[in-house]
Amino acid sequence: MIVTPSLAAIIFVAGAAAGTLGALLGLGGGIFLVPLLNLGLGFPIGIAAAISLATVIATSSAVTAGKAGQHLMNFRFGMILEVATAAGSVLGGITAQFISQAVLQRLFALVTAAVAAVTIARSNRRNVIVDPDANPGLLGGRFFDQESGSDVVYRIRNLPLALGASFVAGNVSSLLGIGGGVIKVPVLNAWCGMPLRAAAATSAFMIGVTATGGAMIYYGTGQLPPVAAAAAILGVQIGSFGGLRLSPKMPIRVLKLLLATILAVVSTLMLLRGMR
Amino acid sequence: MKPGDTQLEILIGRVLRIGVVTSTACLAVGLVLALVQPQSSPALLQAGIVLLIATPAARVVLSIVEYAIAKDRLFLILTSIVFLELVAGAVAALVFHKRI
Repeated sequence: MIVTPSLAAIIFVAGAAAGTLGALLGLGGGIFLVPLLNLGLGFPIGIAAAISLATVIATSSAVTAGKAGQHLMNFRFGMILEVATAAGSVLGGITAQFISQAVLQRLFALVTAAVAAVTIARSNRRNVIVDPDANPGLLGGRFFDQESGSDVVYRIRNLPLALGASFVAGNVSSLLGIGGGVIKVPVLNAWCGMPLRAAAATSAFMIGVTATGGAMIYYGTGQLPPVAAAAAILGVQIGSFGGLRLSPKMPIRVLKLLLATILAVVSTLMLLRGMR
Repeated sequence: MKPGDTQLEILIGRVLRIGVVTSTACLAVGLVLALVQPQSSPALLQAGIVLLIATPAARVVLSIVEYAIAKDRLFLILTSIVFLELVAGAVAALVFHKRI
């Protein structure tokens, strides 16, 4: 596909929209960019996934650089989970080269619907130890929560589940071109003891490595068109810069409901296309 | 959390910032060039993409070095496994590339 200046501008705007939402929700934006490129602009899903993975890497690097030193990201826990996500993403990147577009679209619909359901079901839960002097352990964490204005402490539970979810997230990341935060963040939040903001920040840290596993393979297969990718990456960079500024001011319940609504719409659209 | 974790966090943040700023600059200039002169060489765009993909890998290498210096064996092993997995991905990419 030849990218004209006007198409580049449209891709840039799509990237900016996806980047803003991604930074707000800690998802990397790919879950929004893939449908925009595939359903909206008609790119094959493999190319949409490859472009999206490239933007996921950029977002992850930028967000991690921006939040470094705030303790919101749990680096040690993230590095443990990366062992699983990187394996999943490399295997997913190889598998993706042999799967049809319709199957990938149906898988995309399934994943987004499941995540929307989990998000709604658990939207009132908080994973916070009230005593700020409690010991978070080696893998737990402590950070200052801007919404409540106090220190927050949490401990990690269910490490095997977190590793399993990370492997699946890595796999789905490469297959569908998303960061995999849509799977990890709800699981880490709902069953592994992490507060939503810590889970989202840790996921944002990890998805750079996860997306690299898949992006290399798409790049090798020649499915990463440089002009379109550059337009999308620049758009996402600007969008996530804005989203990052807004993120600490947004109440958690609003974030969860916004996420669930968007995912439900994306899921329906992808299913309709995948069933054609 | 262990002593030194915050230092590593800031160091990683710095490496990622350098990587993302350099690659974004290459992509921005490369994109303008490609749109103004469609016949021009895409070398700058390619450099931007390769730099972008290499940045998280560089962060993993940095963690390996830091954990080796701190004699943190468990995390040295874990981050080394992550690096080997990325190498496996690069090998797979080369195999696919040869088939095109």
